[in-house]
Amino acid sequence: MKTLISLSLLLFTLQIGYSQDSTATYKKRVLETTEVDFLTSYYTQDGENAAVSGGIGTEELSDITAAFVVSIPLNDDDVLTIDAGISAYTSASSSNVGPFDGDGRANPYNASTGASQGDVWANMTGTYTHNSDDRNDIWSAKLSVSSEYDYFSIGVGGSYSKLFNEKNTELSIHGNVYIDTWNAIYPTELRPFAAGGNGLNDILFTQFYTITGNTNYNPDFKTFGNEGRNTYSVGLGFSQILSKKLQGSLALDFVLQDGLLSTPFQRVYFSDVPDSFIQDFHLADDIERLPDSRFKVALGGRLHYYINETFVLRTFYRYYFDDWGITSHTASIEVPIKLSDKFTVYPSYRFYNQTAADYFAPYEEHMSTDEFYTSDYDLSNYSANQFGLGLTYTDIFTKFHIWRFGLKSIDAKFTQYDRNISLSASMISAGFKFVLD
Amino acid sequence: MIKRVFLMLSVILMLSSCVAVKEYEKVNLNDPDMILADKSSDRNISTFHSYREAASGGNGGKTGGGCGCN
Repeated sequence: MKTLISLSLLLFTLQIGYSQDSTATYKKRVLETTEVDFLTSYYTQDGENAAVSGGIGTEELSDITAAFVVSIPLNDDDVLTIDAGISAYTSASSSNVGPFDGDGRANPYNASTGASQGDVWANMTGTYTHNSDDRNDIWSAKLSVSSEYDYFSIGVGGSYSKLFNEKNTELSIHGNVYIDTWNAIYPTELRPFAAGGNGLNDILFTQFYTITGNTNYNPDFKTFGNEGRNTYSVGLGFSQILSKKLQGSLALDFVLQDGLLSTPFQRVYFSDVPDSFIQDFHLADDIERLPDSRFKVALGGRLHYYINETFVLRTFYRYYFDDWGITSHTASIEVPIKLSDKFTVYPSYRFYNQTAADYFAPYEEHMSTDEFYTSDYDLSNYSANQFGLGLTYTDIFTKFHIWRFGLKSIDAKFTQYDRNISLSASMISAGFKFVLD
Repeated sequence: MIKRVFLMLSVILMLSSCVAVKEYEKVNLNDPDMILADKSSDRNISTFHSYREAASGGNGGKTGGGCGCN
């Protein structure tokens, strides 16, 4: 056995050495000139299983996103990439964190006009990449910051890739750490029951609204003591050219999360607690409570085949599991069709399914004696189908200019996503690539 | 177990050396649609998946953290 392993290592080492010698004669700039990508999208969804209102209620949401990605060659070997983006959303379900706005009857199927109806997420990421002279070794380091009203994150990461076998084979490793902090926002009706609150003597109940159903509303509510969330990930990659027209890759990711993994404004209703209402809105028994750690493993594979000058076949499969009891399969296929030198269309299909987390149950099916509970349908058992159609315009001569930047390509895509439960979503996305003259 | 995994990886690496497509033979492999990653313009779709789906990772993209999702 030892002999076999030693022989394998020897052959492998010789192979790397031979490959490096054969490709170190000419050094081309990694990136010829500065490139700017402008990416934008409009996303909309609707459904009737909102996590904010405990598994019932509107999931209507719209989001608009814009980002600039600027890649700057610092010299022949090094590239600095700055990625700055902003995303603004309005959400009917999030608005129901505070459903008692005095503007119509409170109801989980209607949006309210509270401050939580919208938010803005902003992100900036800087990545420095260095390539060795023979382009067989690639290092990168990354720093990111993102912020939204109730969430802040700092991330650092790095990667190393090694190409060998005449650049037919690539092995890579990458790692990321995100240090995130919640600014926890809780459902309006629970706040008076936190430590130091007035309970039913709060102005919400004494002056503005009357409780119906169980009028002795008295949830056992405690705020989270730790509002931090840390994410540590390590990934391994392997890609291989299999023939002049076929190549594939494997990616294995391990992710460990700890800290506050619950979403503080997502309600839960217990089947063994009498129901209390204000108008048509069921008052929360508690918020979701999830374990403070989660370990996730994902193994994905791609296989791309160049059929001919018109068609390319792109396939992807991923198997995922975690220690919350979720397993998932994802499979997708895309067939780019080149209509001409300038236009390519991208029809695509993606299938996704997952099993439910151990802690998931629908509206009012949890027991108050449970340790962990959520009615977030993103953690439920479901499958989803996604159809997409994209169009790309490419002009290698960059005839159209904005100042000194020539337009190299435009991507546009429409995507329709439907779960076998109530959620449907659609997205229009576009990307514009410019290169500096 | 570790020996078996190591042996399997060694065999895969040795097999890979059987196929060495030369640089001048990579014209089809260098087609932009053959890149072994999502297109950059698809990243907002991946972001929405990371919000709405429990699974992430395994695709060269983000694996979690940095937002109130997943």
